[in-house]
Amino acid sequence: MKTRILLPLAGAALLAVTGCHTSMNSIENAQKTGQRQMISDSRVITDGSLAKKVSFVGVNQSMTPGGFLKIQIELLNRKHSLQRFSYQFEWFDANGMQINNIVSPTVPDQIEGGESKFISSVAPTSACKDFRVKFIEN
Amino acid sequence: MKKIILLSVMAAALPLLVGGCATPAHYIQTGGRESLVNVNQINIQDFIQAANDATSDLLASGALDKVANPPAVLAISRIVNNTGQQIDTDLLTKKIRVALLNSGKAQTTTTMGLGGTAEDPMAKGLQQENEFMNDQKTTRKPDFTLSGKIIQTIARAGSTRQATYSFQLSLTDARTGLAVWEGEKEITKQGARPAVGF
Repeated sequence: MKTRILLPLAGAALLAVTGCHTSMNSIENAQKTGQRQMISDSRVITDGSLAKKVSFVGVNQSMTPGGFLKIQIELLNRKHSLQRFSYQFEWFDANGMQINNIVSPTVPDQIEGGESKFISSVAPTSACKDFRVKFIEN
Repeated sequence: MKKIILLSVMAAALPLLVGGCATPAHYIQTGGRESLVNVNQINIQDFIQAANDATSDLLASGALDKVANPPAVLAISRIVNNTGQQIDTDLLTKKIRVALLNSGKAQTTTTMGLGGTAEDPMAKGLQQENEFMNDQKTTRKPDFTLSGKIIQTIARAGSTRQATYSFQLSLTDARTGLAVWEGEKEITKQGARPAVGF
């Protein structure tokens, strides 16, 4: 009788534990041809919970052929479950003034457990010199 | 007496019951996290995201830089709506136009349109009058045309519904007729149909 009750319970517990569990393996070339131009970054963390789950690995930048700043941020999911978040890029000119961008979306995104992921954006004008990216947990 | 007290309490509670759960009207950031999400229709945040991706990709490609007299002149061609809903494709193209104009890389003609119709008939009339008075062509022909398609793909499994919206865009060189840039942004939304209700 006890077994009859315990078995479904054990099954449910197993589902609860493994149901959201995701993890990711990856492979890449060891000898890199491309060299990322990493830049030093400044971080403001007000949501420690999100920072513990999804961390910033680094930021690199390049210029497009048209002279626009392109920013790429590497993120890493430190947990073994899918994390959902939203981010938004903001751009600033040489005087530190924010540049109005009609197409500056709050992008909903997700990252699998243990996954390393890149997000990137191109500056809306060649006048953009600095940037800020805001992250929020969904 | 009891009846009067009961009625008074009920009368006082009625507005709370009716209005208590309703969210008062308030402003939200357009396309922000508070925006409503519908599986079966394209929301404003989807248009913003698609326009942003297309603009970023187009600017990064450098395709607009390959013109003799920058900035490039762009004409908007046909954007086919292949979804099941009625949408104004300007929600996509206008955002791209504004972003490209602000970037300084392209300007859009408003006196030349699909089927000879001008977006701004008055500007076209004045332009023609100007050409007639000066006896010379002043109209700059477009360097590129922008065309595209919006496609909806629906999938269902049990009560779960999924819709993918594909925003496909092509930038064609008006001299050669060749697509010099092409972009596609796919947005997929998933949701469960409520067990009760519509």
